[in-house]
Amino acid sequence: MNNYLPLSIISLGILAFATLMLVIAPGIEMARPEPPAGLRPYTAEEQRGRDVYVSMGCLYCHSQQPRAPEQAPDGERGWGRPSVSADYFYDSPHQLGTMRTGPDLLNVGARLPSESWHLTHLYQPRAIFDWSIMPAYPFLFEVKAKAEEGDVVVALPPGFAPAEGVVVASQEALDLTAYLLSLDRTYPAPEDGIRDDGYRPRGDAE
Amino acid sequence: MSHETEKDARAKPTNPRKGRYVKHLIYAGGATLILAATGALLYESGLIPGLERPDQTVASGYFQAPGNDQIPDSPFGESVRRGQAIFMNTATNASDHVGNGLSCANCHLGEGRQPYSAPMWAAWGRYPQYRAKNDQINTMEDRVMGCFTFSMNAQHSVSGEPPPHGDDIYRDLQSYFYWLASGAPNNTEMEGGGFGNVPKTELGYSPERGQEVFAANCAVCHAGDGQGQQDLNGRYVFPPLWGPNSYNWGAGMARINTAAAFIQNNMPLSQPGTLTDQEAWDVAAYINSFERPKDARQGDMTIEETRQLFHDGDDIYYGQEVNGVLLGVGTPDPERPVGAPE
Amino acid sequence: MTADRRPQRDPRHPDEHFEPYELDASIPWPLLGIAVALGVWGAATLFDTRRHEERAQVERIEDTRLATGQAVEPGHALFEASCATCHQSNGLGIRRAVPPLAGSPFVQHGPELVANIMLRGIDGPIRVNDALYDGHMPSFASVFTDVEVAELASYVAARWGENDRVLEAAEAAELRGRVSDLGSFRGGAGVAEDTGLALGDQPPFASGTLQPVAPEISALIFEGRGGQWSCASCHGDLGQGRENTPRLAGLPADYIRKQLHDFAAGRRLNESMAVVVAELTDEEKQALGAYYSGLRVPSNARPDLGGDLERGEQLAREGDWSLTVPSCFSCHGPSGFGVAPEFPPLAAQHAAYTASQLAAWAGGQRTNSSLDLMEHISSALSAADRRSVADYLASLPPVPAGTGDTLAAQGEDR
Repeated sequence: MNNYLPLSIISLGILAFATLMLVIAPGIEMARPEPPAGLRPYTAEEQRGRDVYVSMGCLYCHSQQPRAPEQAPDGERGWGRPSVSADYFYDSPHQLGTMRTGPDLLNVGARLPSESWHLTHLYQPRAIFDWSIMPAYPFLFEVKAKAEEGDVVVALPPGFAPAEGVVVASQEALDLTAYLLSLDRTYPAPEDGIRDDGYRPRGDAE
Repeated sequence: MSHETEKDARAKPTNPRKGRYVKHLIYAGGATLILAATGALLYESGLIPGLERPDQTVASGYFQAPGNDQIPDSPFGESVRRGQAIFMNTATNASDHVGNGLSCANCHLGEGRQPYSAPMWAAWGRYPQYRAKNDQINTMEDRVMGCFTFSMNAQHSVSGEPPPHGDDIYRDLQSYFYWLASGAPNNTEMEGGGFGNVPKTELGYSPERGQEVFAANCAVCHAGDGQGQQDLNGRYVFPPLWGPNSYNWGAGMARINTAAAFIQNNMPLSQPGTLTDQEAWDVAAYINSFERPKDARQGDMTIEETRQLFHDGDDIYYGQEVNGVLLGVGTPDPERPVGAPE
Repeated sequence: MTADRRPQRDPRHPDEHFEPYELDASIPWPLLGIAVALGVWGAATLFDTRRHEERAQVERIEDTRLATGQAVEPGHALFEASCATCHQSNGLGIRRAVPPLAGSPFVQHGPELVANIMLRGIDGPIRVNDALYDGHMPSFASVFTDVEVAELASYVAARWGENDRVLEAAEAAELRGRVSDLGSFRGGAGVAEDTGLALGDQPPFASGTLQPVAPEISALIFEGRGGQWSCASCHGDLGQGRENTPRLAGLPADYIRKQLHDFAAGRRLNESMAVVVAELTDEEKQALGAYYSGLRVPSNARPDLGGDLERGEQLAREGDWSLTVPSCFSCHGPSGFGVAPEFPPLAAQHAAYTASQLAAWAGGQRTNSSLDLMEHISSALSAADRRSVADYLASLPPVPAGTGDTLAAQGEDR
C-alpha cells in the first residue's frame, strides 16, 4: 500500500460530496425562516407535556410524519396531510420518529380532541382497545378515595376502575394530554414547503 | 487481456479452458443485464410502440357510448345538452307534458347508456319500426311520444297530452340519442339493447311471494308503500313504483315480463343480476298488482273493452281482479294538473 | 503509472517474503456496460420522477390557492360543481322542489341579492314565477371564500338575471360580515322583508319551534357519564366533528340511533364508540339522534386528501357504470343531503371520515348497510377514487337541517 495521499483525498472528496448532497443541500432546500400561519408556539403546559413525551420515549413507537397518499393511506386514517418541514418550526428537537408500532401522532389533537379520552387511554389503553400493545402509564395517575377540588377524574369503563376511590390525573398526565391535543397540523400546507408528493401524478389510475 | 496466457499458465495449469468458460458466462450474463436494463428503460419511457399499458377501465362487451365531456361545442352540442337535460329531468324541462313523478332516466339508467336498461344507443338505430302496440310504422318521435303518453302519464299533466309532433322536445331528445349512438350500427339488434328477457319459471308469478322479495330488496329505497322517497326539498330521489305518481296502465313497464327483465338486469341499483328468475317475476307481479293511473287510451271505453283491445294475452293485471279489487280503474284524477302553478 | 513493478526474480525460486500484488487488468467491458446502463436508467428515472413531483407541486399550489381564496375557478365551473346539483346546469331547477334561477326576480335584482342568499340560505316557502316551493337552501358561507361568492354571484346574475353588475370580493366580504349573525332567510317573505326589495307576492313563513333538550341528555353530550366520555369531547360542541371523527350535525335521528345500535352489536367496529354505547339505553340513543338531527352547523370540512375533485364530482353526480358504481346522489339525494333514515347526508362530511368508511366497507370492518349496497360499491372503487369522492363531498355545503336559528347562533365559524 502506497500512494496514501491520493487515496485520502479521494475518500475525503467522496465524504464531502455525500455530506453536501445528503445533508447540506436538503438543509438549505428545507430551511424556512417563517412559521406557517396556522401554527402557534407551544404553551408552557404543552411544552412540559412535550418533555414528558420525550422522557417516556413515545418516539420509539409513534412517528410524527404523515406520508403522501401514494405511499400510505394516512389521510384516510385521519393522520393528516403529508407534513412539510415548516410544520416542525417549534419542535426542537423534532419527534419525527421512524417506527410505526403505534399510529402517527402529528395530528392526533385534530382526530382525537377529547381530553378525557386521552386520560383513559394513557391510564389503561386496554380499557378501550382490548388488543392494544401500548404500555399503560398508571404511574402518571393517582388513586384517591375522593376527588378533591380541581382534580381531573379519569373516566374508566367498568372492570378497569379501582374497587374503591377514583383515579385522578397527575399534572404530568395533564401536561402530556395538553401536548397531544396541541398536535394539529391540519391547516393548509405552505405553498413553498418542500413535501413528498409521492411518485404518481394525480389523475393516473391506480 | 495481455496477461491472460501468463496468468493461466501460472495459477491454474490444470484446466485452462475452465476459466475461459466462466468468463464467457459472466460476459453473457452482463450482456443480458444490459439488454434487460435498456429494454426496461425503453418500456418505462413508453418508447416502444404498441406496448402502452391497456386501459384499465372495464372494456365491457357492449357498445361504449361517448362520455359527457365529448359533447361538441356547437349548435348541435347545445341541442344534445338540452336533450340530456330533458332526459334526466323530464318533469322540469318538459314540464307541461309530465303528469307524474318520473323522468326518462328512471328506467333508462346511466343517462341512457346502461346495457339492458333500454340504452338509447341501441334504440336509435332500430327506428322507424313497425309496432303491434299501435299497428303502424313508428318513428323515434312516435316512440318517445308513447313514453310521454304512458310512462310519463301525460294525461294528468298541465297540457293533458304528450308534446305535439315536431316539438323541440323531440328534436333535442333525438339529438341526444343520435349523439349517444355515435359509431353504433344502424338497423341491427345490438347486444345489451332493450331490457333483456327473463325465462318463464315453472311456478309462474305471484304477488304474494313478490311481497317478500319487495320487502327484502326494494323497500329500502322505494319505501314500503312503493311510493318512492323524496329529499328534504320534496324532490324524488327514488321513483314511485305504483299509485298516482307512477306510470299508467298503458306503459310497457306495467307488463310483468318487461318489469321482470328490467328488475333482474338493473335492480337493486349497483347489484344487477342478484335476483333469481323466480324472484324477478314475483316482485314484478307484486309491483304491477297495485292501482295506477288509467290507461291513456281508454277514452269512453269500458275497462274490459280496453283490455281486449290493448292488453289481451299480455302478462298484465289490467282488467283483472287481484285480492278482490278490479285493477285498471285508475287512480283518481288530480284536482289540478300535476305541476300546475298554485 | 508504469506497467510492471514486480521485482524481477527467478520463478523457480519464489521469494519467501513474497508480497501479493495486483496485475493491471482492465475493467471488463460488460461491467462498464452495466454501470453505464444503470447510470442512464437512474438519471432517466430521476428525471421522470422530477417531472411528476413538479406536476404534483403545481397541483398542490393550485389547491392551496383555491382553498385559501387566492385564486378562484371561473364562475361556470363553481356553478357546475356546487349549484347545478339542485338548480341544474340550465338554471331551470326542479319542478315543485327547487326554484329556477332563469327568469327569477330574485336573480334579476343583481349579484348582491344572489350573494346574500348564498351566504344566508333560505328556509321555507318561496314563490318564483307563480310556482310555490317549500324547501331549504343551505348557507354557502362556510364553503365559499369571498372571492368565490363574488365570482359566482356575478356569474349567476349575468347569466340568468341579465344583470351585468359585477360584485367585487371586498363587497362580498363586507356583506358576509353584515349577514353572518342573521341566520337563514325566513322564506321568500323574509328575503323581501330583510332586503326591502320588491319580490312580488310571497307566502308567509310559519316559524318552527325548537325542542328543548332534556338535562340528562345534555349531560351525556357535554359532560359524559361514569366510564363514558362526553359526545362533544370528540365530535365537537356542535357535532361538527374533525378528520375521521364524523360530523353528526344534521344526520337523521333514526340513522344515528341505528349506528349506535350497530356499534353495540359489532356490525360497526370502533373501539371508542363501543365503550361509549355500552351503557346507553334505547331511549338515550333515540334522544341523542334527535338532538344531532336538528343541528344546523356550518361546514368545517375541507377537501384535504389530495383527491381529484373532478373525478369525485363525476362519481358523486354520474357514477361510473363501467365499475357498476351508481352515483352517490342517486341514493343519498341530488345534493348529498341524504334521504332519511337509510341514506345519511354526505355533504360537508369530513373527507378523512368518508374515505375511511368506504375503506372499512371494502375491507369488512363495517357491515351494516342495507342490502350490502355500500360494501359492493366501496369494493369497486380504487383507493384514489375513494379519496376523490370523499374530497368532493367535503366541499359541499352542509345539510340545512333543523331550523336556521342554530346557524344564526353560531354565525359563520369556519
